[in-house]
Amino acid sequence: MAKTPIGLEPVVGSLTSTKKREYRVTNRLQEGKRPLYAVIFNFIDSRYFNVFATVGGNRVTVYQCLEGGVIAVLQSYVDEDIRRMSLSTLNEKIHKSFVGHGDSINEIRTQPLKPSLIVSASKDESVRLWNVHTGICILIFAGAGGHRNEVLSVDFHPSDIYRIASCGMDNTVKIWSMKEFWTYVEKSFTWTDLPSKFPTKYVQFPVFLASVHSNYVDCNRWLGDFILSKSVDNEIVLWEPKMKEQSPGEGTVDILQKYPVPECDIWFIKFSCDFHYNSAAIGNREGKIFVWELQSSPPVLIARLSHAQSKSPIRQTAMSFDGSTILCCCEDGTIWRWDAVPAN
Amino acid sequence: MTANPSPSASADGSEPPKDSSMTQVEEKSVSSKEILSVIDSLKKQVAANRSLFVKERLEENRKKLGDITSHLYKSSNERRSSWIGDTDSASDLLTKRQKDAIGMQNGIDLSNGDKDGYSYQEPSTAVLMGSSIPVKNAVRPIKLTEVKKLPPYTTWIFLDRNQRMTEDQSVVGRRRIYYDQNGGEALICSDSEEEIIEDDEEKKDFVGSEDFILRMTIKEVGLSDRALESLAQCLSRSPAEVKARYETLMKEEKDVGASENRDTEAQNWNSFLEKDLEAALDSFDNLFCRRCLVFDCRLHGCSQDLIFPADKQNPWNHPDEEKAPCGLHCYRLALKSERNDTVRSPMNPDDKSNSSSDGIAAQISSSKKSAGPSARRKAKSSQSESASSNARNLSESSDSEIRPEHEESSPIPQLSPSKNKIAGKSGISKRNSKRVAERVLICMRKRQKKMAASESDSLVSGCVSPTDMKLRSNPRKQNEDATPSSHKDVKSSNIGRSRRKDWPLKGVQGEVPSSETINDLALTSSNDCLRREEFVDENLGKEELSDDKSWKAVEKGLFEKGLEIFGRNSCLIARNLLNGLKTCWEVFQYMTGSDNKLAYHAADGGLSLLEGCSKYDLNGAMGNNEVRRRSRFLRRRGRVRRLKYTWKSTAYHSIRKRITERKDQPCRQYNPCSCQTACGKQCSCLLNGTCCEKYCGCPKSCKNRFRGCHCAKSQCRSRQCPCFAADRECDPDVCRNCWVSCGDGTGSLGVPPQRGDNYECRNMKLLLKQQQRVLLGRSDVSGWGAFLKNNVGKHEYLGEYTGELISHREADKRGKIYDRENSSFLFNLNDQFVLDAYRKGDKLKFANHSPEPNCYAKVIMVAGDHRVGIFAKERINAGEELFYDYRYEPDRAPAWARKPEASGSKKEDGAPSSGRAKKLA
Repeated sequence: MAKTPIGLEPVVGSLTSTKKREYRVTNRLQEGKRPLYAVIFNFIDSRYFNVFATVGGNRVTVYQCLEGGVIAVLQSYVDEDIRRMSLSTLNEKIHKSFVGHGDSINEIRTQPLKPSLIVSASKDESVRLWNVHTGICILIFAGAGGHRNEVLSVDFHPSDIYRIASCGMDNTVKIWSMKEFWTYVEKSFTWTDLPSKFPTKYVQFPVFLASVHSNYVDCNRWLGDFILSKSVDNEIVLWEPKMKEQSPGEGTVDILQKYPVPECDIWFIKFSCDFHYNSAAIGNREGKIFVWELQSSPPVLIARLSHAQSKSPIRQTAMSFDGSTILCCCEDGTIWRWDAVPAN
Repeated sequence: MTANPSPSASADGSEPPKDSSMTQVEEKSVSSKEILSVIDSLKKQVAANRSLFVKERLEENRKKLGDITSHLYKSSNERRSSWIGDTDSASDLLTKRQKDAIGMQNGIDLSNGDKDGYSYQEPSTAVLMGSSIPVKNAVRPIKLTEVKKLPPYTTWIFLDRNQRMTEDQSVVGRRRIYYDQNGGEALICSDSEEEIIEDDEEKKDFVGSEDFILRMTIKEVGLSDRALESLAQCLSRSPAEVKARYETLMKEEKDVGASENRDTEAQNWNSFLEKDLEAALDSFDNLFCRRCLVFDCRLHGCSQDLIFPADKQNPWNHPDEEKAPCGLHCYRLALKSERNDTVRSPMNPDDKSNSSSDGIAAQISSSKKSAGPSARRKAKSSQSESASSNARNLSESSDSEIRPEHEESSPIPQLSPSKNKIAGKSGISKRNSKRVAERVLICMRKRQKKMAASESDSLVSGCVSPTDMKLRSNPRKQNEDATPSSHKDVKSSNIGRSRRKDWPLKGVQGEVPSSETINDLALTSSNDCLRREEFVDENLGKEELSDDKSWKAVEKGLFEKGLEIFGRNSCLIARNLLNGLKTCWEVFQYMTGSDNKLAYHAADGGLSLLEGCSKYDLNGAMGNNEVRRRSRFLRRRGRVRRLKYTWKSTAYHSIRKRITERKDQPCRQYNPCSCQTACGKQCSCLLNGTCCEKYCGCPKSCKNRFRGCHCAKSQCRSRQCPCFAADRECDPDVCRNCWVSCGDGTGSLGVPPQRGDNYECRNMKLLLKQQQRVLLGRSDVSGWGAFLKNNVGKHEYLGEYTGELISHREADKRGKIYDRENSSFLFNLNDQFVLDAYRKGDKLKFANHSPEPNCYAKVIMVAGDHRVGIFAKERINAGEELFYDYRYEPDRAPAWARKPEASGSKKEDGAPSSGRAKKLA
């Protein structure tokens, strides 16, 4: 990687834990023998903020977190198709099967402003925008400027409804805009014909392309207008995309902060944030969890969570609405629940 | 990099110079130590600023984000309340379940766990689960309705024609990391180490903070070698770079003050008119593909070599326009009025070519005439314009304008301007030219200002009048009171030809001003020199007109293009290219003027005008005689990355489809040659082993040209047709009987017409895109397959196999990747290119391989390009799946593509293939 010029160095968080908040394990359950790849809380409907889902193998399981560390299984679905996916925030389950991707799906996210829009990142090198209500594949983000390898992660911009960021195994993070195609998105809500007849459009060129990492980028999230992304370099990077108005697709990256995560050098480890993006939690290869305060500068490590029995790589964590509960799902098929110890 | 503002990094880096400075005698006022401390403190400052900046940015972002998330929270709360209304698409059942769920949630004891009615499309399974135990695996999983899995594919873009790979699509020189499905973790794959260190050489720009350190340090410790050295070390750059940067910084600082005062007028001049036509045409030259006749051709790319055919089209020649003046300002009218002194220039094309009796008569008469100008005028107009009474009206109406010219020139009969013109600038003009030029310049400037003011006027009137005149001449004929209108015209034309405007007094027209000018001239004529000046002004003015002053760059450029298109026909040039900018007369003057200049520049009295003329051609139409390289400053959009690669694995070939069993005879890529004469040994086509095509520069008589066919009966479908035999499609431009019509408007557009002899060429299907409907579906064999919608007969053209055109080197690199995924869409096209349909292509890319196929692929030359057509090998019924033989090179075929051993095929390959195979062409 090119050396960062003086004056543009990122602010790196210190790994000394401030113990701002303490967590302890309140529950642990074994879902099966298969590795769990994703766990996520529902953030869309406030009634179900305590509902979460896990994905592992071909099974999706929906749970509910209850007080006192109790986890209740609500439902579980088995599908022959799903291999590795992280469910987006659960929602009303008007379950539809979406056919289109040429290969397995790595991540799905729901548009918080319009929950019927979901975006999926797939192994087939494309990102697709779907309308859950009508079952339409509205847009395909792929083509000449698209990803060159599996897309691993995708996220909606929290406020700019047109914007999504995706990253993948081609080491890049791409920001796409669907502004010019918004009419199709609107059309998808009123489409009455067969979904397959919808004029699905290709978005071939991203508005921004960032080579922040030199290896697989397996998770990215918007933090306001900044982007949090991580590769296999033992850190989460917060950076700002600086686009040039004149020439779309080009621009520079200003790396603002780094959140070190030791022993996090394998790919497909995803982090998660609480609803207000105050903190993020990420597991590592050795079963430890690091909780970072995201929006302070320099970053503050809220807590470092470890348990004697947690040795398996943590694929994904999930933070509850207020960050008081952290769930993590592990390669060995276990789910751990950590609850914040109330301050005295 | 340390995060916190700590100087440790810089201290480490700067230790060696510190040591050396210690040992040295400290004769300098500023030691390196001090320099370093200064730099360190600056660095600290910068780092502190940076962290402050980041903090601020984050704070800013946090506030924004806070608003957003609280808004989201609100909306998620709203969703709860307006839940039922929201999910309008949900069935009643769903609503009911929601209610149930809520009810249960409220009613059930917390420790008992509860559940949500997660509705599910299968009503039967959507029943609420019984009391779920708050521990593991007590729930019966719901099996989702099985959705038949799609065969895997990578998202691809449809192409209806081949596309050349753009640079940013290249995988050469890029590192790629593979995820090993079996091994678990990733492995890095790149050809060489060098590829990884790619961005090292990229020149880094100095960022603001570096500039700051640089400036402040030098400000504090002065500009010394040592300071530069330490700075360089600190900024990890060379001292020279640092110094250069410092100098530019200083310069910029100075410039800041100066630039504010800079007048903006100069900028205003840079309107489009000032721009060179070349620059304006650059996009045309760069982006227009002369082979496909489209802009931004994706196949041949931009910045192709410009090749001009040796067989030049004759300049536009319209017989009707030959004699009649084109309008009010036609040079013919003006010329005639000047005939007595200005012997018509032999360069005048229509004079030269036609030398009509009319013209001669006019000349004679005009030379004879020295009587009253009015008589002369009438005689002339009657002579020249006798043919058309319309035109007469025209000329008369324009008389008032022409008159002053006569009047002015008539008092000086002794001086023959014709001489002046013919011999280039004669002695007089030479003598006077400087003075005159000055005068003219001043006048011109004045006039130009006026002109600018009245430009819109003259634009309208000036440009309308020539065309209008024709229209108007009719009414005028009928209407005798056309005089006011003609006056108007005259006036407007006067404005347009602003040079006149100075003389005629306002409100006075026709005879009066002219007589006045005569008087004026007579008065001044006592002073011979001055008079001459006036005169030369008059004449030279014409020449000067043609000079830089009044002709803007773009107008000149347009004029030159006009010469190429229309030949030396000022009427047409003025009307078609300089409409509203210049009148015919001005164009004519410019034309002759530039000829004169040429002759003058040649400084050769004996240089014949003809020669000058031809020379002009040489200069003006320079592009014709040499192949111009298009300027390259217009690049394709997208980032162009520097590529660097070493090629170590040339022996390493990937799997590619191909067409013939012949291994070693790929087609040759055609590139048009730029020969200007019949192609000789140097011809690039000949050297390359291709035929010359219609895009070559060589004349049609070139022996290396492919002559097309003269088929009469065979419909060009058998090897009797030379085109067919040579694996080429017939070309309507080349073949004799293979035509394309515009269709009869009944939807048969582009269908080769049934000529009188009932001939219909069947060898243009790719050109005309007459393909069959191909459907994409699940293959009966494996993965995806291509199917046919309609029945087709044997040898019917089914469609084209399109894709990206990539180089062989690129193909080998990509092939490695594809072989890993065990699906390759590479197709050998010719010696230069491989087609890759992986990301871009059409549905035929999904046609599977079979040792007993029903289709075959064929590389065909279509209008200079190689394309892959898929043809039916036998009769195929609707709905059948298409197969063709990929014809992998025997030792490179993947296992599934090998013919079964039992079939006793000749394809024998012992060693298990190393995995690289390709479709071969």
